[in-house]
Amino acid sequence: MFKKLLLVTVVLALAIPLAIPVTAQDDKPKIGFLPGVVDPFYQVMELGINQAVKDFGLEVVTQFPESWNVTVQTPILETYIARGDLDYIIIAPVDKEQMIAPLEKALEAGIKIITVDTFLGDGDYENGLVTFPISYIGSDNVEGGRIAARALVEALGGKGKVFVENTNPGVSSVEGRAVGFQEVIAQYPEMEFVGMEYCLDDATIAAEQVSAVLQREPELAGIFGVNVFSAQGAGNAVKAAGLQGAVQIVSYDATKDAMENLRNDVVTMVLAQKPYDMGYLAVAFAMADWRGVTSLPKRVTTGFAILTKENMDDPEYARFIYQVP
Amino acid sequence: MVSEAQAPSLPATSKRRTTGQQAILLGSKIWSWLFLLMLVFYFSWQGTGFFSLRNSQNILVAIVPIVLMGLGQTFVIIAGGIDLSVGWLMGLSSVISALVIREEYNAGVAPWLAIIQGLLAGVGVALAAGLINGVIVAKLRVPPFIVTLGVSFVARGIGFLLAKGNIIAGQPQLARDLGNESLLYYVRGEGGGWYFLKKPDVTGAQLRMMDRVFTWPVVITFIVVLVAIFILHKTQFGRHTYAIGGNREAALRAGVPVDRHVILLYMMSAGTAGLAGVMHAWRFSGGAADAGDALLMMSIAAVVIGGVSLFGGQGRVIGTVIGALILAVLQTGLIMINVKTFYQYVIVGIIVILAVLMDQARDLIVGRAEAAA
Repeated sequence: MFKKLLLVTVVLALAIPLAIPVTAQDDKPKIGFLPGVVDPFYQVMELGINQAVKDFGLEVVTQFPESWNVTVQTPILETYIARGDLDYIIIAPVDKEQMIAPLEKALEAGIKIITVDTFLGDGDYENGLVTFPISYIGSDNVEGGRIAARALVEALGGKGKVFVENTNPGVSSVEGRAVGFQEVIAQYPEMEFVGMEYCLDDATIAAEQVSAVLQREPELAGIFGVNVFSAQGAGNAVKAAGLQGAVQIVSYDATKDAMENLRNDVVTMVLAQKPYDMGYLAVAFAMADWRGVTSLPKRVTTGFAILTKENMDDPEYARFIYQVP
Repeated sequence: MVSEAQAPSLPATSKRRTTGQQAILLGSKIWSWLFLLMLVFYFSWQGTGFFSLRNSQNILVAIVPIVLMGLGQTFVIIAGGIDLSVGWLMGLSSVISALVIREEYNAGVAPWLAIIQGLLAGVGVALAAGLINGVIVAKLRVPPFIVTLGVSFVARGIGFLLAKGNIIAGQPQLARDLGNESLLYYVRGEGGGWYFLKKPDVTGAQLRMMDRVFTWPVVITFIVVLVAIFILHKTQFGRHTYAIGGNREAALRAGVPVDRHVILLYMMSAGTAGLAGVMHAWRFSGGAADAGDALLMMSIAAVVIGGVSLFGGQGRVIGTVIGALILAVLQTGLIMINVKTFYQYVIVGIIVILAVLMDQARDLIVGRAEAAA
């Protein structure tokens, strides 16, 4: 057995560079896209990526991690690196700390990085903790949290208990949303922040957590669902408790499910991000960098569309609903 | 290696088998090797950059946590148990070791000392959890499925509580080097070559020509695998493990200290998971409570694909390594040929069932006890 084990390792390790592709410097970059998890937000981002790739006549490799975890995203990233043919990786890092080391390896291998939706370190690629990515393209999530909080304050008349359903700790995007939300709530003496739970990007867990909080806090007046799955779970829990209208929900991410909840008064307001823009811009940035453009901004915020029951059928707004084929 | 005394009442099987039966027997032994080879050939032929030094290393790095969790699991399953706690124990260990390292390091302790303390704390906590698993399973006779599931939830909760629902970052550079630097380096191109134990001083464009060969976690895992092979296949401890899984009562009558042995097995299982957690913290410069969440089922799949019988009594360490390699080769290969990795799960599901069928076909032919031997 020792011999066999040795043989396997040796064969694997010493499969010497026979087949290492010599990257012929053709004049178009090849791009790898690595989103955070499989969900409608990133699927819309993929549409933007694919459109840009088509417009520029490029090639892209895309893989969706099945769950939100560094141990799922990293093996895919390392395989992107090992392919040896990618020039740019457009990635939504699933952890702002833990993904630094794996992405530095990509950089060492000569691959340039653009982060979309989530960032590394503190997100300041000019002077911050991490400066190697070309750019961060995503929502201003702290501001998004503030917008959500203000909408909730307004809907509740400046008074009441509010709760945040979050996804995972250590993720720049959703962390920012919670920070902005709490900041605004704290400015209103009659608003009370009663806590936050993490559903680990699982709508079923989110629903269970929100149901429990509804039991614990009979006077709960508002919930902020920070992303697709949190909002979906919060909506389901409120519906199950028959509290539509009594408990106001504001949420991130304009999925079809969220739109239905908006129409049925389960949800008061939905912040639609612009994943299509993020995807398209990221490819355009890669292309520009490839062509020698050096003045690309290190941080691009793509803004929001604020969807309510009143405007959701207006084509001006409806185009921001996440349309996944 | 079950002796006559430990395995009584063998079914009277004929020693003369038909060609078909012999083919099945042979197939059950070597199919996983063949399947792995087939995958490697296919992806090398179809994929971009699959058959390369860099990807071979990528695969080895990817299997580290799966192999480590699978190793202890191999012993536990051979002895007729199962350990569902390893996934979240890995996360808990990564959190505790990262916490210890960060606190000690911030308190001015030398990085190497802080890292050793972190290693001891991370693995120590896992061993303690394994002791709890083992005692409840062995002494109180609660089904291992339930006990380890319970411990898994406890570990999950404590992990998140200790980390305050966050990631434990702030690790010294040395920890990160341990997780990412390697025994050997290979620099392609002119003036390149092999570097042993010394990171070549290359920059810029040459840096992209550098491959890390056998990163430290891979080296450590390799050593642990060798130790596991030795223990399972060369020592009395290993023979007792098979005996308990083959027939617990018979093992008891033959004087095997079954309870103590079972407790040790669960400690081993938790311990290797703990080591995986500690190395996760090195590699990703931080501890995360959910580090092992996605890996538990993969590790059990690796064990089953490797030919360890869920009924106990048979299996080999090398099988688990092959199982883990199959999983990693499938994943990287599918990415190389740009096919959605979700197909990986479909294929893994089918081969897991196939593996169990192979196992049962073999049992039908040779009889359980003989198969264990």
